[in-house]
Amino acid sequence: MPEEHAELHAELRAVVRDLLAKTGPDAAPDWRTLARSGWLGLEAPEELDGAGASFAETAVVLHEFGRAAARGPYPAVAALALGALTLLEPSPGRDGLIEATVAGRTVPILALDGEAEHVPFRLLRTATGLALHGAARFVQEAPAADRLLLPALDPAGTPVLVDLPARTAGLTGSAIPVLDETRTFGEISAQGPTVPEDSVLRFADEAKAVRRLHDRAAVALACDSLGSAEAMLDATVAYAGTREQFGRRIGSFQAVKHLCADMLVKVEVARHLVGAAVRAEAGEGDPVAAAMAKSHACAAAVEVAGTAMQLHGGMGYTWESGIHVHLKRVTLDRELCGSPAAHRRRLADRYPALARGEAETYTSR
Amino acid sequence: MSAADLADFRADVRAWCRAHIPSDWRAAQTGATDAEFVAFQQAWFQELRGAGYAVPHWPAEWGGGMSVAQQTVLYRELAAHDAPRLVLAFVAIHHAAATLLAAGTDAQRERHLPAILDGEIWVQGFSEPDAGSDLAALRTTARRQGDAYVVNGQKVWASGAAHADQCLLLARTDPAAPKRRGISYLLMDMRSPGVEVRPIRQATGESHFCEIFLDDVVIPAGNLVGPEHDGWRVAQETLGTERGMTMLELAERLGNGGFRWLVEACARPGRDGTAPLDDSRVRDRLAELETEVTGLRALCADLVANDAPGPADASIVKLYYSELLQRMTDFGAQIAGPAAHTVLRKPLSSGWESGAWVLDFVGSWEWTIPGGTSEIQRSIIGERGLGLPREPKAV
Repeated sequence: MPEEHAELHAELRAVVRDLLAKTGPDAAPDWRTLARSGWLGLEAPEELDGAGASFAETAVVLHEFGRAAARGPYPAVAALALGALTLLEPSPGRDGLIEATVAGRTVPILALDGEAEHVPFRLLRTATGLALHGAARFVQEAPAADRLLLPALDPAGTPVLVDLPARTAGLTGSAIPVLDETRTFGEISAQGPTVPEDSVLRFADEAKAVRRLHDRAAVALACDSLGSAEAMLDATVAYAGTREQFGRRIGSFQAVKHLCADMLVKVEVARHLVGAAVRAEAGEGDPVAAAMAKSHACAAAVEVAGTAMQLHGGMGYTWESGIHVHLKRVTLDRELCGSPAAHRRRLADRYPALARGEAETYTSR
Repeated sequence: MSAADLADFRADVRAWCRAHIPSDWRAAQTGATDAEFVAFQQAWFQELRGAGYAVPHWPAEWGGGMSVAQQTVLYRELAAHDAPRLVLAFVAIHHAAATLLAAGTDAQRERHLPAILDGEIWVQGFSEPDAGSDLAALRTTARRQGDAYVVNGQKVWASGAAHADQCLLLARTDPAAPKRRGISYLLMDMRSPGVEVRPIRQATGESHFCEIFLDDVVIPAGNLVGPEHDGWRVAQETLGTERGMTMLELAERLGNGGFRWLVEACARPGRDGTAPLDDSRVRDRLAELETEVTGLRALCADLVANDAPGPADASIVKLYYSELLQRMTDFGAQIAGPAAHTVLRKPLSSGWESGAWVLDFVGSWEWTIPGGTSEIQRSIIGERGLGLPREPKAV
């Protein structure tokens, strides 16, 4: 990373951390404050009131949201919805939506299915025009939506994004309650609402669009898990450095110290894999880097949170300690948008060709 | 260096690899004699040196000067083309060079760095029978007599000592001082009278570890590295700087050599006609290992590129590499099955992941034990990396 980027990221990180600390664990940061901060539009083009930055900057905020186990639709809107909008061909509809999102006037939610990787909706041509059918489950922050961006296949089978107000006749949303109280999820289903032609937004690169949407969601969750894992490591080190048993601080016992060392190693490896995926996502994208980051960082975060609970002893198991908040959050991160096993299946799909020598080197990036 | 320049460099290295790596070296080095091994290693070193690839990590004035990006490309291509490793020169080009560059005198550098390029072989004389993990407890003494030190004691686990010309020696010069403050760092000629080397047969059946017995060995005072009695600090610092450099090569080996052979082994049909790769559990494990080795490569590149690494970064890399090597070779042994147990020798000059999976697996303890065991690394990571309280001192 160039030095000026590192400095900008450090600055951004500090401001976000400060805001989330002031907000506290039980509330979502104020949406107008987020809009004024410019964080909603980090990736939006400057001519549409955005910062013209990249996913690398959004990732800094996502990371801090994970660290604080923060609430609210920011990750869903900034990483997923705005990320999807930036993959579209410029059009008055798209451009207006980006401007309104950046200003905080609208909260668009991407109806990506968090449970299964597929294009959840279909556009059918009827006598009265286009009609939308389909359903997506585990849509992140769906209850917060005032607009929905629905990934669909158009009548020709081409992936498009359908933009509809959340309150549209024929479009229903229902909340899906989950154990992780820091986030909300919903099921969106379309039973044939009529879709105006200008609500059908086209991707700039239709061949790659669906992969990019899923990879973006996966990498965003990996950032969240990495932030959470860091918070759990810090909390555990602080606790082990003060809590005394048998007349010694427990962190001086090798049994405890070595588990903390393993947590740090896991966090460091995850940080490097997530860093590579974030850099790729800020450019053309790299499905291999995304699959590695998602499968590894999200699994590591669950292990780190589990070790954190174990090393906090009885206190760690209490509701008050808050460790369960991170454990539930990262366990859900791990299962959403492709389990570690699902991402590893995609990695392994490359191996038969690699074994036949159809690739020059194996990990040549 | 621009991306285009780096691509040109990659093309040059590839062309060189295709033209210069002997296609039969594995067969020739399997069951080779000691003399054949040494001759091959010396010739291969000069081959690499001729291309400017032997010591890429050294400063330009001494014959190196490659950027980290170039080194990564070089090691990746050498691994991908299954080049022999510089096994014999390892301590010379890494540990000895790092020590001389960081703490040596001009005279010591001028005496030894060109000699290393000409094939001078080095060994590390640190551990002792009663000073393993507790290295600072070492008891070999170096008594000052006029312009020289007279050394007595015993070293152990000295890898390659049988072939070495020179030794990096830690010895106690002040027996009265606290144990870390009375140690000095010396350069010892292995042909000095009073030096006796005895090989130790190790778990793999090979004998490249040795004991070194030192009986009134005279070392000129000019061979002292750093201040007298300050050898512990010199050793700590040079071990740290050297760690990243060696790991960069080893991580690329594991990613581009070891992992590739693992995938190929998994794709090979067994006697029942099915290949391990047909099994989803095997594919899952492979993908996990590929992810881990990708993380390792990124960690190593970062460590080498970082001018001010964290106090535990080198330990994190060493611990992760050694345990990943163990996991990968263990998996290789399971994939290859009983047939891998009939591979009685691995080619000399090969890496830690030679494809002789059972021997590689047994040999992987050569990474989790020496150079600070995994347990010592975890304590360093906990104490220096995370600031956790130290172990209470023994009473």
